[in-house]
Amino acid sequence: MLSHDRIYRSKIIPEKVNSTIAIGELEIAERRQRIRTVETEPSTLSKFFIEIASITTFTFRFFKEVFKPRYEFNEIIKQSYLIGYKTFPLVAITGFIIGLVLTIQTRPTLAAFGAESWLPAMVAVSIIREIGPVITSLIFAGKVGSGIGAELASMNVTQQIDAMQVSGTNPFKYLVVTRILAATLMLPILVILADVIGLLGSFVGVNLKGNVNVSLFFVQVFQSLEYQDVIPAIIKTFFFGFAIGLVGCYKGYYSNKGTEGVGKAANSAVVFASLMVFIIDMIAVQITSMLQY
Amino acid sequence: MTDTAISVQTEQKTKAGGAVVIEMKHVKKTFGNNYVLRDINLVIHKGESVVILGKSGTGKSVLIKCIVGLDDIDEGKLIILGQDVSELKNNKLIELRKKIGFLFQSGALYDSMTVRENLEFPLKRHAKSMSKKEMSLLIEEALQHVGLAEAINMVPEELSGGMRKRLGLARTLILKPEIMLYDEPTTGLDPITSKEISKLILEVQRKYDTSSIIITHDIECARLIANRIILIKNGICAAEGSFTELQNSTDKWVRSFFE
Repeated sequence: MLSHDRIYRSKIIPEKVNSTIAIGELEIAERRQRIRTVETEPSTLSKFFIEIASITTFTFRFFKEVFKPRYEFNEIIKQSYLIGYKTFPLVAITGFIIGLVLTIQTRPTLAAFGAESWLPAMVAVSIIREIGPVITSLIFAGKVGSGIGAELASMNVTQQIDAMQVSGTNPFKYLVVTRILAATLMLPILVILADVIGLLGSFVGVNLKGNVNVSLFFVQVFQSLEYQDVIPAIIKTFFFGFAIGLVGCYKGYYSNKGTEGVGKAANSAVVFASLMVFIIDMIAVQITSMLQY
Repeated sequence: MTDTAISVQTEQKTKAGGAVVIEMKHVKKTFGNNYVLRDINLVIHKGESVVILGKSGTGKSVLIKCIVGLDDIDEGKLIILGQDVSELKNNKLIELRKKIGFLFQSGALYDSMTVRENLEFPLKRHAKSMSKKEMSLLIEEALQHVGLAEAINMVPEELSGGMRKRLGLARTLILKPEIMLYDEPTTGLDPITSKEISKLILEVQRKYDTSSIIITHDIECARLIANRIILIKNGICAAEGSFTELQNSTDKWVRSFFE
């Protein structure tokens, strides 16, 4: 278990001890007890590298454990239900609003160039390629990442993780592996659903100031889309899901003890997971561009 | 009495003739530069109930965490049921852990699960050949034993402190461990409930013939349960004896625990 607080170096500041006192074994121990250990705070850069090392070890451990039996299928299904199904309403509402708002906001610009008929195509490409996956992942990071972080941190504080360990259960496999797998598998499905609902929102937006029937709208949408728009967008969501699950679990599993630790774990899980989504997105866009041109 | 390790050599009301289940030889454990366990030597025999007393921060909880494998020892030998823990591979260690029950101070109940599910959890993982009906019967029996039969469908947050401790005990006992470790089982409970928990521990001890280590600050609990008491000071076993022997010790520090 590589935790950054174990890596911190410390230095000893011995207090003055009266040397005239007869030395007994217990007395030596008492003196040692009086030795104050002062944890030296590492610099921000050191903290950053310690965190990177720690999360890398955590990731390697995940890959080591994921292929080893016993496989926790029931827990994966349970977590998939909690992570996927329970997040769907939030993702659906967000997707619909994004489709609607994007359409309403884009219409005046396209109308100024006399290209209003391009509205479904433009919105579709925006939603499918970028906005759908990224916004859904951010919502997912906020709900699921923080939820996992807080849940595991709370289990850590109340010694439930220790209890699992002493009962002969591998808590990493049962708690961490299952949640990361569920997040990795569920996010792509949620993104596909959010994209479809976003397009429905766009259809509503188009019809607020126009009259386009459903079939014409979707014909325009599908004519504008190519496989190279859809496939990379879906592939990157697996990485988003993995990163969100991993960060949530890491922050929760290695949280500091105490109620403050729970809050910090939840908070930093959202912040770090959201950041990871943007970083992965940037890398994915670069790779896609290189492959296309 | 010197400042070196105090050993109260007297006749002990222990089952010292039984097989050795836990043996610690020169065990040391440090956290950074803080020496928590300096030189622990102790032997627990089968069926014996050993209470460990000591001031807060003297390493009592660390001692039992080392036994159960939540913390690793830095030096020395830890032999449990004839197996040297430091030489065991992960799967052997898991097998060994099944034979050790650990009652956490807080109960450490799985709060997302009901009382029934809390008991089912270890059974599903370790008693795979057991049918659902057998499992259900075993759970009901375990809950009846700790007086929680009515609470089977409740969730931990609906339970009182005493009930949580009982449920923790039932969950630990359901795998029928050979060794029981109790981390402050009566802390935070009223005197009546504390006495009930102490009696329950005693009953468990008699019924399952477990060997127990009990960490406590509750002298009444120690009086009721202990075959032998060990006092820990500065990371070593500083005194050892029966309740009466230590209570009547000539050493002021030893007596101070019983006043």
